[in-house]
Amino acid sequence: MRVFLAGWRMQLWSMRGNPDWFLTLILAPLQTVVFVTIFQHAGRGDLTSYGVLAPALIALWGLSLQTSGELITRERENGSLEGLLAAPGRFDVVMLGRISAVTSLALLAFVECWLTGWLLTGELLTITHPVVFALTVVVSAVAMTGWAGVMASVFVLARSARTFQNSLSYPFYVLGGVLVPVALLPDWLQPVSRLVFLSWSSDLFRDSLTTDRVEDLVVRVLVIVVLGAVGFALSHHLLHRALRRVRTTGSLAHV
Amino acid sequence: MSEHTMHASSGRVSSGRVSTARVITAAARGALADLRTIYTPFTWTVGWLGRIIMQVIFFALIGTLLGSRDAVIYLFVGQAVMATVTECFMAIPSTTWERRTGTLALLTAALGPMWPVFVGRSLQWLPSGVATGSIVLLAVGPFFGVTWSLSAALLVVPALVVVAVSMYAVALTLAAVVLRGPRWRNVVSNLSVLVVMLLSGATVPVTTWPNWLQALAQVLPVTHGLEAIRVLEVDGVVREVWPPLGLALVLGAGWFVVAGCAFTLFGEAGRRDGTIDFAE
Repeated sequence: MRVFLAGWRMQLWSMRGNPDWFLTLILAPLQTVVFVTIFQHAGRGDLTSYGVLAPALIALWGLSLQTSGELITRERENGSLEGLLAAPGRFDVVMLGRISAVTSLALLAFVECWLTGWLLTGELLTITHPVVFALTVVVSAVAMTGWAGVMASVFVLARSARTFQNSLSYPFYVLGGVLVPVALLPDWLQPVSRLVFLSWSSDLFRDSLTTDRVEDLVVRVLVIVVLGAVGFALSHHLLHRALRRVRTTGSLAHV
Repeated sequence: MSEHTMHASSGRVSSGRVSTARVITAAARGALADLRTIYTPFTWTVGWLGRIIMQVIFFALIGTLLGSRDAVIYLFVGQAVMATVTECFMAIPSTTWERRTGTLALLTAALGPMWPVFVGRSLQWLPSGVATGSIVLLAVGPFFGVTWSLSAALLVVPALVVVAVSMYAVALTLAAVVLRGPRWRNVVSNLSVLVVMLLSGATVPVTTWPNWLQALAQVLPVTHGLEAIRVLEVDGVVREVWPPLGLALVLGAGWFVVAGCAFTLFGEAGRRDGTIDFAE
């Protein structure tokens, strides 16, 4: 636990003073304006909740993709990866703490988007099912942490993957149904989107804001947990492969 | 004021100044080298173009959510043109690369103004942006109900060139400001793209906004370029696009003047207080 918290604190401290780390949080309010004004112009105020939730989910994914995905690579470039691996604390626990810090920070986007929606519409979006909402936040954040670890390891194992880092955003926003529900995607695409935990999270978040009863809550939460667990397992496996490779090739200290 | 240099071997006297066009051309060669470093044809196609296509589809799907075919087309065309603008606005971070590489101080010390270097230095984004927008509008658009007459299709690419060139001038103006605080380059670049997206009519009509924001939208060249492209898509009437495209070009020329002044002011201020260094 101490190692986890040390990684957590270290990540938050290292992010100070560099606005690039917070880019997605800075953009989230304007993205809210983009989506909500589209719905307002179309006379669909009933879709305001979609326009408020989407940028928050985009920030959650985007911050993890851009920030967490860079963690190991940045340590190599800094020349500090050797020291981290030589330290007595488990490296994977340190990384987990750091990635969790980033994911937690991304949750601030929910507050930003809520307030922006309030400014635009004059009404604060009501969370009709707060327990469902809170539960979805927790399991989604944990699942995101697992998959962020996958990204961090992939960017070490496959240098060319960084070239495609930017392109891992919008495909997952579409597959994840962050703004337009998966049910509106072509039939052939829906099974694929169901493998993305974000699609289950998006639907649950939207359902928690409606007055209707939330159907199949336990099953849907379990699916997010299972998909998140897959992410953690894959992250663990890939991290060890990445570290074994850099040790074997002697490239701990450089990219 | 020109300086004269006596060449020892020939005895000729040269002015010591290089023409603006030669400076821009030389800087553009560097821009081309940058483009080859950043992208291979494969990474450009899959990594960049693929991402942009998904972004445009993301917005077009909002029209599906609204149950409106017109909204699908409106958002698709708006985002396709914004893809060109987005790439031109990459000139903001790429301009600051001179500061990070330590060449900015040399540029400041060099004879002649600084602005021609920066005009040429980020030109690589323009052909890439025009290609991206063109492919999305002409090749992907028909799958989303975006149709073009032959004459309209032939004018789409020149219209995107007008958008790219004129918005490049806007990007250079912002870049001259960001040179003072280069750590904000990505924030300024991304924020300004979102602001342009909101104001220019890419997502909602310009008339949605209060009068003062509408006035601001009118000085953005892309507002008029996008209007021209929408006219091409809807009506295919070629003669109606010349006024907005002409206005976009005039505005772009004005922004180039502003950018030149901004770079000149930056250089003079830097020489005065000695702040042009390697600082991040």
